[in-house]
Amino acid sequence: MSLDRRAFIASTVAASTLAAAPKIHAASKDKKYRTALIGSGWWGMNILREAMAAGQTKVVALCDVDQDKLELAAEEVNDLSGEEPKLYSDFRELFEKEEVEIAIIATPDHWHALNTLAAIEAGAHIFIEKPTGHTIGESQAILKASRAADRIVQVGLHRRIGPHHVSGMKFLKDGGAGDIGLVRMFVHSRGGAETPTKNSAPPETLNWDMYCGPAPLRPYNRKIHPGGFRQYLDFANGTLGDWGVHWLDQMLWWCDQQSPKSVHSTGGRPVRGEAVLNEDVQTTDAPDSQIATYQFDDFTAIWEHRQFGGAGPEKSTVGCNFYGSKGTFHMGWRDGWTFYPDDARKPVVHEDHQLQEPDGHNLKLLWADFLQAIESGRHPTADIEIGHQATTLSLLGMLSLKLGRSVRWDGDAQRIIGDDEANGLLKRKYRAPWTYPEIG
Amino acid sequence: MNASTFATMPTFVALKMRSLAMLTLGVCIATWHFPTTLHAEDWYRWRGPDLNGISTETHWQSEWPSGTMPIAWTIDVGTGFSSVVVQDDRAYTLGHVDDHSVVYCVDVNDGHLIWKHAYPAPLDARDFEGGPTTTPTIDGDRVYVLSRAGELFCFDAGSGEVRWQKQIADAAEVRVPGWGFAAAPLVVGDKLVLTLGESGAVVNKHDGELIWASPDRECGYASPVPIPNTKTIVFPSGRSFTGVDLETGQPQWSLRWLTSFGCNAAEPIIHDGKMFLCSGYNRGAALFKLTDGEPELIWKNKNMLNQLHGSLLHDGHLYGIDGDMESGARLTCLNWETGDVVWSEDDLKPGGLSLADGKLILLTEAGELVFAAATPAGFSEISRAKVLDGKCWTVPVLSSGRVFCRSIQGQVACVDLRD
Repeated sequence: MSLDRRAFIASTVAASTLAAAPKIHAASKDKKYRTALIGSGWWGMNILREAMAAGQTKVVALCDVDQDKLELAAEEVNDLSGEEPKLYSDFRELFEKEEVEIAIIATPDHWHALNTLAAIEAGAHIFIEKPTGHTIGESQAILKASRAADRIVQVGLHRRIGPHHVSGMKFLKDGGAGDIGLVRMFVHSRGGAETPTKNSAPPETLNWDMYCGPAPLRPYNRKIHPGGFRQYLDFANGTLGDWGVHWLDQMLWWCDQQSPKSVHSTGGRPVRGEAVLNEDVQTTDAPDSQIATYQFDDFTAIWEHRQFGGAGPEKSTVGCNFYGSKGTFHMGWRDGWTFYPDDARKPVVHEDHQLQEPDGHNLKLLWADFLQAIESGRHPTADIEIGHQATTLSLLGMLSLKLGRSVRWDGDAQRIIGDDEANGLLKRKYRAPWTYPEIG
Repeated sequence: MNASTFATMPTFVALKMRSLAMLTLGVCIATWHFPTTLHAEDWYRWRGPDLNGISTETHWQSEWPSGTMPIAWTIDVGTGFSSVVVQDDRAYTLGHVDDHSVVYCVDVNDGHLIWKHAYPAPLDARDFEGGPTTTPTIDGDRVYVLSRAGELFCFDAGSGEVRWQKQIADAAEVRVPGWGFAAAPLVVGDKLVLTLGESGAVVNKHDGELIWASPDRECGYASPVPIPNTKTIVFPSGRSFTGVDLETGQPQWSLRWLTSFGCNAAEPIIHDGKMFLCSGYNRGAALFKLTDGEPELIWKNKNMLNQLHGSLLHDGHLYGIDGDMESGARLTCLNWETGDVVWSEDDLKPGGLSLADGKLILLTEAGELVFAAATPAGFSEISRAKVLDGKCWTVPVLSSGRVFCRSIQGQVACVDLRD
């Protein structure tokens, strides 16, 4: 990054924010941000649609390594707005050629860091999909770079702003459930054994080498793309690195961003079976079930997922339970939130969800908050630091699972205590020519 | 009982009484109520004789007391999504059993097996249960079947003897698409028209010899559809629909039609010089005017997403299954001319849909057979009954007064609707 440019951008934003915030706010409704989407698949387009609906977006460019995704997205943007964004298959070329004020990053996790750092260098504010990194070091690099350049980074943690999450968190923080001693976060689904799927030549419209990017180049398999990368540890971090980030974030929100003292995780693939990867066939390799325990100063938090067994006797398959001295509080998704008092004579308290369909998320609110943060210079609701911490906890769980032992975490130093091998896993080896980001 | 008494009775009681009368007095009463005889029709190919998914049969029974439709017989044919075709009191379908796909020919009267033919085929479950996805095509005394791996069979309809078979994907030098070949073969004169490659392939129906083939690209999953009164056949690929000259194989036009998963599975609907295209996976629907050159867009929207099956056009309205089956599809009625949603029924969980005599014949995912008026006035249910266990995504087929329903797990139920 050019220091001059970074300093210039930072000083410009700071000066204008301090001098004339109300005026900027008044004028901002006419402001159209030159926006680029990196990763134009299903979720990226969900975000971009909200951006366009908010009325302050001019879509200047789209980027994807899959030509079909790119053309589909371009057609939809054109249908919605009449705009004809420039199309790129390489994000570096996009940032070189386009003046981008906002970049939306919705690629698979292993690309988040390099995409985001390039966007920061180009001077853009960023809406990044969670997790903020595929490794903890990547997430740290994004955090530092965005702070240094004074860029606004909103992380796609829409559960930070969803109305029932906000009201539920108020209930908890007001002491509605009493003193919380245990938090249990969980996601369960149905499933069974996995049989290997044949590898094949990548579709002619897909640049598979670029898809793999800094990750190892493995044979193409249609289970990975489109849509399946989350269960492949080269590209993502399984269910804990996906859903886990949302629910860990709810827990962190409640405990005011405390750091755990230690993390321990077990799990594996007892039902899906051993992971397979050879020239002919492959399976997913993420754990089909996992438990991660986070020990805080005065409470314990447990993550649990399984991809078999279904709902069983449980009331909900997704959410976060806070166990307190007055009863149990369930923060859910489509089931809203519910408080079950430990005194059976007291009424159950419930609030229905308020979600944006069809996907059941609250992107509209999160995007509006992002724009307000850009205009006012304040940190957004799901700021990079918040997203980084939730991501870090999920990745510490994955790291402990790989190591087969617990790790002690120093949240201030962002290091694992007394374990060189574990600290080595805060980074990963990149495939050339990609280089791992410097934390600075 | 006179007519006026009957008319004042609550519907349910009336239905129940009529059913009781029929059960006890049989055909006489039925004839008294329904003096017109059944117009029977052989449903000898996918989407029926008129290739529109609509049967011309009339005077079949659609009203039953809740939960009591008469199931004449059930059989188990194994895992798969193949629908049923019927000719001369014989029904044909496919299923997967023990590492083989099996072609079945059964008697429609009692479901007894007349012949079957098994060929080796992996289950090949890829985001779905696996098994055969294609439906056989009957042409005179022959039955054609295209396997997911590209093996093309011609059977003697009577005996099940293999007249000829050919690995047609190899012969045409085209790849097998991600979920395997799924389209039913289409017979046009002496030609067998196949969804294969970028824009189709044609073989001689008498010996399987390849006449022409299109370039090697991922094909789509919908069957070929002819444009009436022309030599043009419309083929789906993973990324387009292309109008091709049947004789030469030369593309005349091609419409880019991208989906998130390269999956075009719903047949185009061609009517009155216009063509309706629709796909799931974030694509949507559009109506085109057919011209001498490139079709011209009339409207385009995402009001209908046909993931698996094509919609049905009836009296200026489209009825179809809208949405992704996994996340909950809807039954939706669209205005053909404008593409506007007329009504949409969210709670039905439709699995397969056909239409006859102005009535929708809906098989729900949970195996309920539902009859409803096909009207833009709104969803108007006539009757329903559970006919299958398991998950149902296959189109129910009406032929000779019977509706053939099938679950993914392989149960086939024959519901006898003859009066």
